[in-house]
Amino acid sequence: MSLNISLYTVSAVLILDNEGGRVFAKYYQSPEDPSSTDGPLSNLTGQTKFEKSLFEKINKMNQDIILYDNHLVTYKQTNDVIIVVVAKLNENESLIYSLCANLLESLTVLLDRAVDKLTILEKFDMVALCVDETIDDGIILEIDPAIVVSRVTNPPSSSSLATDTGSLKLDLSERGFMNALSFASKKIGERLQQGL
Amino acid sequence: MSTLSYKKLDAYSTSGDLPDKMSVFQKCLQEFNASPINAKKCRQLLAMLLRLIYNGQAFPSQESTTLFFSISKLFQHKDESLRQLVYLTTKELAATSQDILMVTASIMKDIQQGDMIYKPNAIRTLSKILDATTVSASERLLKNAIVDKNPIISSSALISSYHLLPIAKDVVKRLTNETLETIQSTKYFPPNQYQLHDYYATNNTNLPSTSFMYQYHALGLIYHLRKHDKMALMKLITSLSENNSSSLKNSLAVIQLIRYINRILADDEGMINVLYPILSSFLKHKSDMVELEACKTLIGYQHLLKDDQFMQIIGTLQKLSSVPRTATRFAAIRLINRIAFKHPEKIMVVSTELEDLIEDSNRSISTLAITTLLKTMGAGSIESSSGVDGGENVDRLIAKMTSLMDEITEDFKIVIIEAIENLALKFPSKYKRLVKFLNDLLRDDGTLELKTSIVGALFDLLKFLPDAEAKELILMNMCEFIEDCEFTELTVRILFTLGEEGPLTSKPSYYIRHIYNRLVLENAIIRSAAVVSLSKFAIQCGGEVSDNIRILLTRCLNDSDDEVRDRAALAVKFLDSKQKKLLVADTQFDLGALERKLTNYLNDEANFNVQFDISEIPIITKEELKSLEYQKKINRLDQPVHETVSDEEIGDNNNKKNKSTESGENSDSATNELLKQQEYANELSTIPEIAEYGILTKSSSTPIYLTEKENEFVVNVVKHWFIDSGKLVLQYNITNTLPRSVLEDITVIVQSDNESYVEEFVIPLDKLGPDQTGTVYVSFSIPSITEEDSDILCAFGNTVAYTNKDIVDDDGTVDSEGWSDEYQIDDLEVEAGDFITPLYNSNFTSVFDQLPNAVTSVVAVSNCRTIENAVTKLKTILNMMPLDGSDFVSSDTKNHQLRLLGKDTWGGKVASQIRLAETGGKVVAKFEVRSETSNLGTYILNGSF
Repeated sequence: MSLNISLYTVSAVLILDNEGGRVFAKYYQSPEDPSSTDGPLSNLTGQTKFEKSLFEKINKMNQDIILYDNHLVTYKQTNDVIIVVVAKLNENESLIYSLCANLLESLTVLLDRAVDKLTILEKFDMVALCVDETIDDGIILEIDPAIVVSRVTNPPSSSSLATDTGSLKLDLSERGFMNALSFASKKIGERLQQGL
Repeated sequence: MSTLSYKKLDAYSTSGDLPDKMSVFQKCLQEFNASPINAKKCRQLLAMLLRLIYNGQAFPSQESTTLFFSISKLFQHKDESLRQLVYLTTKELAATSQDILMVTASIMKDIQQGDMIYKPNAIRTLSKILDATTVSASERLLKNAIVDKNPIISSSALISSYHLLPIAKDVVKRLTNETLETIQSTKYFPPNQYQLHDYYATNNTNLPSTSFMYQYHALGLIYHLRKHDKMALMKLITSLSENNSSSLKNSLAVIQLIRYINRILADDEGMINVLYPILSSFLKHKSDMVELEACKTLIGYQHLLKDDQFMQIIGTLQKLSSVPRTATRFAAIRLINRIAFKHPEKIMVVSTELEDLIEDSNRSISTLAITTLLKTMGAGSIESSSGVDGGENVDRLIAKMTSLMDEITEDFKIVIIEAIENLALKFPSKYKRLVKFLNDLLRDDGTLELKTSIVGALFDLLKFLPDAEAKELILMNMCEFIEDCEFTELTVRILFTLGEEGPLTSKPSYYIRHIYNRLVLENAIIRSAAVVSLSKFAIQCGGEVSDNIRILLTRCLNDSDDEVRDRAALAVKFLDSKQKKLLVADTQFDLGALERKLTNYLNDEANFNVQFDISEIPIITKEELKSLEYQKKINRLDQPVHETVSDEEIGDNNNKKNKSTESGENSDSATNELLKQQEYANELSTIPEIAEYGILTKSSSTPIYLTEKENEFVVNVVKHWFIDSGKLVLQYNITNTLPRSVLEDITVIVQSDNESYVEEFVIPLDKLGPDQTGTVYVSFSIPSITEEDSDILCAFGNTVAYTNKDIVDDDGTVDSEGWSDEYQIDDLEVEAGDFITPLYNSNFTSVFDQLPNAVTSVVAVSNCRTIENAVTKLKTILNMMPLDGSDFVSSDTKNHQLRLLGKDTWGGKVASQIRLAETGGKVVAKFEVRSETSNLGTYILNGSF
């Protein structure tokens, strides 16, 4: 079996929602592999078709890894999203799986344990940076989640507080309430642990 | 006002819907050009932009350029978190925008003195911005960045250089020394590197200080700079693996190293002795991905390994197949399955682990475990001593599979069915349980696809199982199945098969009753199939049965459907006139050839003046058809690429197509051979001299290369036999690979060492330009096989003679002065196999016993150290078909019996039973050859092995 000698390892990173819709999708094209530049996955229709049919196969299966349509696919489902890493068939399964698991771990840290569709969309800047700091155009840049996380900047703190008082306004929507509740439970938990 | 505010809201909305593209675009231009810049807002907008891009909403070039331009204004802003996202967006927009070079200066400034946070991002963006003309300006920057003490900066520079390889290889080449230096260096993150996130609260003490990823990137880059220098690569590998505990600390880097070793081995297998110790040291590594990679590479070269080395791999795989990580278990079982294709006996030691894996929660793993076990079972039973155990194993495995079958999806079921069929075909003695299993499965609910695959498997077993009892068992089950089968297609197929096979069984009346039931109860399509099926019974069984069926068929004449009436009328007519051949055909046309001929005929209207001549289409007997199918089947099942099917996508055509191209020549050759033959025949008949020879009897299937494939001239040859007129035509295909030479007056001088072969004429080639291929024909008259002391075996010495002329300028003007030269190429041999085609028969012994003209002899098989090699060699030389699974040799036996059957070009059968024994690295074969054509056996034994 010929092994992939180039650094181009990952074919795509996808984040799909619980209906197979796109939340995040980045397909990488390797100059060394012609099929990535003019194969079915090089255009939007082909990509969406691939995502839809892949979703059928992996949704709620929790099998971590499958071979699908001549790709090695590893995935992690959590809350209402699936994180998918697609690579070539002859890639090292364990390596790709680690990448996928570590990506999830990085996101867990960055999104403060709330890896769900709404939070991902809310903090899309962090998610995009996180993927970019993990994979650069198909080349694995860093695999250790702690280091990836350290490379992703938080959004600018509202340094210009005076002009941007809006952010201090109480959020009274249902979501705002849930946020406050989870914040409170986290703090209480921490206190309790310290007490013990 | 109201729409504006709505859109404004929309741009910031976090609901699941995508924001409107145009409003984001407008908003971006507005905010990015504002002064002072609001960093927080801009970052949000950039995120929105990225969301659109990552959802496939690409901006057209003009808008993209406008965006790019306004984003470049953000380079003024100091906020590092904004700048980081600016770089990412720049990178994403670079592909669709124009005038991207304008940001080069800003980026370079950042790389030189920028903030530590976004410096790596700047370096990585650089490779997207530069083109071939501007890249040299960045050389210094990249050089400095590669040797930077900060690992992430070094990695970024290495990756950037890697991306630049296609456009500026010479510039990147100048970074070789820095890259080499980086591989073995140690770099640490500066302590203030970490961004603190809420998650960590205040505790960041146990964060890693480095991950050594730069070693991986440097190693990846250096390969491309050094790949043509094998010695340098070897030196790199040995220096890095000498004390592998210290030099390469990153698992990915080790994997990359293993892949280089693999590449070197692919070029030169002799290196295994030097490289094996390195690879085996990786079999025990702290990271399972490294262990997997080492196993993968070693399995690719399993034929070079000794038994104890092999056991080491198995040991590692055994360990890996029981770890908690699904992906690792999956990879391990995939590899074990790959070994099972070639050496099922070697993995019998892990069969307990495999049985445990059947209950694995991952269905891909359990399916692979089952198919692998099915293979080992076959191997286990071939040794007579463990035959009993084999039987028990089958029972136990089937029990396990039965319980599993309810839980898994149909795709997996189909994979398992294929594996079972494979096993039953290769080891017919096991059929009973397997057939029963398939029948049970057939009775359960399932879709058409599943049922089709089961019925397909049963049909194949029906065709190829030698045992008459097995046939009846399958047929009876099929009868029961069609009693309530909801799929018309399947019922029709089964009815057809019943008509083919049923009359030959011991009690045809049983099947007739079932078929008649269909005639009463089913729709018109099935009824008409049933009529045809019944008529076959009538014509073949004769006597009372025939009369009764005639009555049944007469009743069908009143059927409500016209197709059924027509068929019934036709059948009754043929029955009355005893036209057996019209109802039951024992030969058929070669459909592939027929199709081609017809298409050719229809393509040109000029052809219509002449009648289509069906006699040109070769006719295949049932026996030959079976051989073809069998060969195809076995070939397909034997392909290791098969493992890809073992997973989810069976129905996927794409996948199948790829497989067949991968498995390529082998699996298709059987069916294509006839087509190719047809092609050759067409080609040859256009040459008047050769057209006189009449019908082409046989051509050698694959061209034989007489030169190395990378020579100045590449020559291959095809042998065409015209047995009826006693001629042999050698077709030399010559390719000129010299870029600046034209060859003229090319001919091949052939000298035979057998006087009975007399050269008749040569058709030379006038001219051959660079990279062109031409053909030279040489014709011989050949001796007849029936004469007592003639010898049909022969060797030809070949020399190519030509006039060489150089091309003097770029317009292709040819130097008028040339010189003539001769070039000796390899010899060509005529072997016994040239006169034989493989033939299938399910009962070898009876065929063998019936053939006259027996010859026996004992020969040593040269150049073969193992029985397995010898079997492969004999099979190819004799060009006969191995039967009864006798081409499978378990690796630790010293004795083997090979049974081969073929058909010679004179129309007779030839069978050989060969006993092989291995002693002290030599293989001795005792041949027993029987043939219909006298003398052929002697020639087979006279051949060199």
